[in-house]
Amino acid sequence: MKLLTHNLPSSHVQGVGPRGFPLHLQATEVRINPMEFNPDSLACMIPKVEWAVLLEAADTLHLVEVPKGLTEGYDHDEKFLRQMHHVLLEEDVLEGTLQCPESGHLFPISRRIPNMLLSDEETET
Amino acid sequence: FGQIQARFFIPPGGGANFFIGSWVEYISGKVFFTTCSDLNMLKKLKSAERLFLLIKKQFPLNVSSVSKGKIFNEMQRLVNDDPESWLSAISIWKNLLELDAKEDKLSQRDANPLKRKVEENDIINPKKLKTKQMQELQESRECQLEKQTDEATVEQGDFLTNREKSQEAFQNDAVKAVAAPNQKDLTFRVSCRCSGSVAKTFTAQEVGRVIGIALMKQFGWKADLRNPNLEIFIHLNDIYSVVGIPVFRVPLASRAYIKTAGLRSTIAWAMASLAEIKAGAFVLDPMCGLGTILLEAAKEWPDVYYVGADVSDSQLLGACDNLKAAGLQDKIELLKVSVIELPLPSESVDIIISDIPFGKKKKYSCRLPFFVRVLRVGGTIVLLLSEDHHRRLQDCERGGIPWNSKGSHTDEPGIEKCLNPGEKTDLSDTVSSSAETSGQGDLDKMPPFGSLVPVDRYGVSLGRTGAFICRYRKSPSSAASRLAAVSRFQSSQGSCTALKAVVSGSR
Repeated sequence: MKLLTHNLPSSHVQGVGPRGFPLHLQATEVRINPMEFNPDSLACMIPKVEWAVLLEAADTLHLVEVPKGLTEGYDHDEKFLRQMHHVLLEEDVLEGTLQCPESGHLFPISRRIPNMLLSDEETET
Repeated sequence: FGQIQARFFIPPGGGANFFIGSWVEYISGKVFFTTCSDLNMLKKLKSAERLFLLIKKQFPLNVSSVSKGKIFNEMQRLVNDDPESWLSAISIWKNLLELDAKEDKLSQRDANPLKRKVEENDIINPKKLKTKQMQELQESRECQLEKQTDEATVEQGDFLTNREKSQEAFQNDAVKAVAAPNQKDLTFRVSCRCSGSVAKTFTAQEVGRVIGIALMKQFGWKADLRNPNLEIFIHLNDIYSVVGIPVFRVPLASRAYIKTAGLRSTIAWAMASLAEIKAGAFVLDPMCGLGTILLEAAKEWPDVYYVGADVSDSQLLGACDNLKAAGLQDKIELLKVSVIELPLPSESVDIIISDIPFGKKKKYSCRLPFFVRVLRVGGTIVLLLSEDHHRRLQDCERGGIPWNSKGSHTDEPGIEKCLNPGEKTDLSDTVSSSAETSGQGDLDKMPPFGSLVPVDRYGVSLGRTGAFICRYRKSPSSAASRLAAVSRFQSSQGSCTALKAVVSGSR
């Protein structure tokens, strides 16, 4: 699971609602996947990023060289884009957990795939 | 030949049309076209099941009031009337293979070719392409012979890194073709398909035999049923008699990069193509299964963020395998999650493409509203729907629901509730960023389906069944007015149409 993907999901555990985001990431196994750098498509994705979430996740993974936020003219700033490229797309969590901040429920990540299925009792009504 | 731009297009009413750089004819599921392309280009055709080099195309055999013997004579004339056309077609075929064999030597080959899973893809109504090279014969031959081998290497790229048995079979073809300098030494096999009134009078075996014998007499070739140099394919029906040579041993629809296909790859590619995927987009398949659609899309449009979701462990495992085999595991993220609980923010997805599971369960079409929430306004949805599902949705669009009254519950009460246009205008306010579940009472909370505007729809054949590829766009306006709009779908018959086209090699 990439950090870009982690940036998206929210927890839908019962009663939690919007406070079910972000899910706290813990990683026991991480791999770096070199990916082809494509500044144009990256520039499309960057505005959608939730920065606080990204920074927290990057911190958990002990990443350095993480931009702190959007700066003006970011889409022409190659250094910025390359750093974002690495953080969002190249760090891959193979094993770990995602934790709902409100309920504490743990969703496992196994073989790169987060399992976000809930048993019936816990889903929101 | 140089860079040619290709667009795939499916017309309403069925069939799969393919646009290529010269006059194209589309007749009843087969597309006839002329091209200068070499085999590498042709291999990249994504919407076609199989490809044939055309030897003959002519009027159908008249089987009505004539004796069987006379009709056999007619068939023999397919061979004997114009033997030159056979020989020149075979000559072109040999050239194609030789050129390709040369290019092959320059490419990388996988030591362990992927084991191909034999699919039940040998269907009743395959869509085929034929390369028609008549007056263009001379020119195309020159095109090919002048072609530089280094040009070929540039285009190889990573398409060929996952070589498989078909390529080796291909090499063998080329070797055999080259090794039989005298066309007299060719071995052949005839495959025959008969449909329509021809099929009522003859079996495919009878026809095959007649043609086979005629070929042996005319050219001195020997028949070899197990491992022939040359395969001859004949299709006789009420519209035409067509003879061709299959260009590739393995159908085009078998992709080298897909280990285990779920959905037919041609359909998957077509859906991805209709979705108009652009670089930087976020594409979701909420019921991805083995990931066929995402694979086809990622192969063609790589600079895109792809996410697939499924509830089944075995499917996700299969999808993982497929991704690895195709070398696309870094391009496609997988989530184990249910479509009704998609943990994604509202309006975060640009494009949704999905093959809605077939079968009688209405619950699948009932889940559509859940996709709608995560799609951004202006976003596109492309769905493959069974005829049943499609009919239900059409009924909703027209505003007339043939269900039981609102109060009663059928096995899937949600269907009435979620697809009933007038009722749920208050829902839009209750949708939050968290997802809803599928408990019975919760169906009341489903977001309105009505913000989806149908764009177009295409009938396709999946072999034994038919289905529809339906494209929708999410509009910002209110539900009811949209649903009241009359369906804008065209209905045209799949008759003979001549189309001009432009061909492109894929990346």
